[in-house]
Amino acid sequence: MFGWEFPPFQAGGLATATVGLVKGLLRNRVGVTLVVPFPAEQSPLPELRLVSADGAVEELVMHRVPSPMTPYGGAAEYQEIFSTLRRASRAPGAVYGADLFAEVARYAALAGGIAAREAHDVIDTHDWITFAAGLAARAVSGKPLIAHIHATEYDRAGAGANPEICRREHAGMQAADRVVANSHALKRTCVERYGIPAGKIDVVHWGIDPDAVAPDLPAESPFRARGAGARVPVVLFLGRVTWQKGPDYFIEMAGRVAAHVPGAKFVVAGQGDMLPRLMHRTAELGIADRVHFAGAVAGRQVQRLYRLADVCVMPSVSEPFGLVGLESLRHGTPCILPRAAGVSEVIANAFKVDFWDLDAMTNQIVALLRHPALRAELADNARREVEGPRFSLEEPARLTAAAYTRTLQGSPA
Amino acid sequence: MTAICLYAQVHQPFRLRPYGLFDIGTGAEYFDTEQNRALLRRVAEKCYLPANRLLADQIRRSQGEFRLALSLSGTLLDQLAAWAPEVLQSFQELVATGGVELLGETYHHSLASLASEAEFVAQVERHRAAIGRHFGQRPVVFRNTELIYWDNLAPLIARLGFRGVMVEGADHVLDWRSANHVYAATTAPGLRLLPRHYRLSDDIGFRFSNRAWDGWPLTAEKHADWIAASGGDSVHLYVDYETFGEHQWADTGIFAFLAQWPRECLRRGLTFAHPGTLAARAPVAPLAFTRPTSWADVERDTTAWLGNRLQEAAQQRIYGMREAVLAARDPEVLERWRRLTTSDHLYYMCTKWFADGDVHKYFSPYESPYDAFVACMNVLQDLEQSLPVPMVEAAPPALAARRMLAARRAAMV
Repeated sequence: MFGWEFPPFQAGGLATATVGLVKGLLRNRVGVTLVVPFPAEQSPLPELRLVSADGAVEELVMHRVPSPMTPYGGAAEYQEIFSTLRRASRAPGAVYGADLFAEVARYAALAGGIAAREAHDVIDTHDWITFAAGLAARAVSGKPLIAHIHATEYDRAGAGANPEICRREHAGMQAADRVVANSHALKRTCVERYGIPAGKIDVVHWGIDPDAVAPDLPAESPFRARGAGARVPVVLFLGRVTWQKGPDYFIEMAGRVAAHVPGAKFVVAGQGDMLPRLMHRTAELGIADRVHFAGAVAGRQVQRLYRLADVCVMPSVSEPFGLVGLESLRHGTPCILPRAAGVSEVIANAFKVDFWDLDAMTNQIVALLRHPALRAELADNARREVEGPRFSLEEPARLTAAAYTRTLQGSPA
Repeated sequence: MTAICLYAQVHQPFRLRPYGLFDIGTGAEYFDTEQNRALLRRVAEKCYLPANRLLADQIRRSQGEFRLALSLSGTLLDQLAAWAPEVLQSFQELVATGGVELLGETYHHSLASLASEAEFVAQVERHRAAIGRHFGQRPVVFRNTELIYWDNLAPLIARLGFRGVMVEGADHVLDWRSANHVYAATTAPGLRLLPRHYRLSDDIGFRFSNRAWDGWPLTAEKHADWIAASGGDSVHLYVDYETFGEHQWADTGIFAFLAQWPRECLRRGLTFAHPGTLAARAPVAPLAFTRPTSWADVERDTTAWLGNRLQEAAQQRIYGMREAVLAARDPEVLERWRRLTTSDHLYYMCTKWFADGDVHKYFSPYESPYDAFVACMNVLQDLEQSLPVPMVEAAPPALAARRMLAARRAAMV
């Protein structure tokens, strides 16, 4: 499997999903050789160790290939990382490609070598950056190739989509023996935008890694209200601060909600190119003292944020799945989900909203902040829903393993 | 006979820690004591100690013919007293030569003149007391933070007992007039204005080591010739004290220049005069400053500190808290808040990156102005919620912002 894992402080759904899938596959008794790009300049992560329910260590082989590629790295971001590394002249362990596409090609060449050494039955890949590696591996071993798609370039960049990336996404899905999409919405995109036959695409919704959540963490807010028993309501945005996630709609909403709920605070957690613009906008709206920017958060801090927030909002312009929604609900925090997201296909107990519908969003949030009963009812019901077996790690892995089997048997779904 | 009035500003701020969302409410320290102490020690070794020695030596050797003015901010005095008492003593020895006149300023090197008359008065008086305590002098000439001055401020400065003010000899103010005279404030006729000759000042302060400059290398002879040629009654040269050894490192030859410069000036028949002496002279004419003018950047206005909405929001929040801070009647809380009024915190939020923006970057401990904004707003949140008395419920934010803008515009008229 050509996937992703978390480099320090660079959380993202794609890494969560692939690591979760690996864990789930191992529990389903599917051995995995995981190949991930990992920047040699960073301190190494602890070795991924996985133990099955009955205590037996499953078969996992890890290959960390030195590479500065990131799961969401556009060509420009790669260029920035690359030149930073060059300036630092810390002699990277490998000679990286001068641009993202060169690096993807270099990575693919290394992938071919790994495929020749490691025994395997199926090759699984995760999003376009790894598609080339998967194709190279298939050329070596002749084993069937699965293209797991988590988000397309249209989802990430909309009208600003990079045509070369779109071309590679198309080529990867076209060449793959089978495609796995994480929602019906994303499957539609693959069919309509990329012309992939619907019959070739399986839909497997994501689950949630119980190790990654701490639903019983005490809800310790940094904000203190005046008066006994009073508390500061907190509205949370968590995600990359980029066009795709709609953080600008979050700020607009904050301006409206702030007028209705005077004490409310708004937290934006995440990094991204839109941060400067958002900060200016908070000042313009006169809510600079109401919005706090938490920057990059990881691990325990993410869990704390979910716990201390009264409501989590996902104003995503495009959201193929929306793992934040599951995580938030699992921590007992009601979440406003993007109507068109994959997570909305599988969760009933949540408000669903369109990113452009600020009136509806404001209305829902004000209601949640004003009525503890509504908040509690929604939170409890949603948490029960998310705790169901459907959202375990094993279930999506079982469905994925089934897709592997079907591919091996050469029969369509 | 033309007199030279040399004045150097000595200031260090209490820089903030990268204070994050999760620091709020934890009692975490606001200020980066370790970094502040290290920077102070470094500047003391590279600049304060050698420059003090050199200047004291020059004053003695010229038998008092060479003289100058210094202004030491209260935050600097606090840092010296806490972390470098021997450096404070070195300043005291320098002042004891009789060749140094000390100027008045706001204790916390703040922008209180633009925000709160009461706070401005309090900080100026506190500074005057500190100068009396440490050096046995009573300043008679005032320098506002970054030389910010405009007509509306003059009556207040006069009322505080000063007879002169250091001002920027900005082109838009002087127009066809020469900076080399003593002028009168239009709104307080007893108050004298001493406009900075920015070109001759910046030859030392900014351009000294610039090899692309056609005046390079700047020798004491050359600079003394230029001063003599510029004519007038008095040439007012104002620089940062850190010019000597810190902004211009010792290996640029700045100390050799400084050691030769007084003699070269005296040899050309130029004399040295203290600002207090010049402020006793009759003015040649009134000089109007219709809007706040500073010595910063090419604009010579206040946009380095209040030029974008983030800075305005932060400044508004700082001063909006004043009543509640005073009501706490806790000297430690008051001091912590006053350290936040130091102009440097707003300077770090400056987004004028281009042209002279690189100067800002050099002086900022933050990666970006946005990081500076986030840390400052988090600290203000912590301070605000730690106050025993709630802040007076402000006018709706948008209205408050409009009022502040209106007030600033009125101040400029």
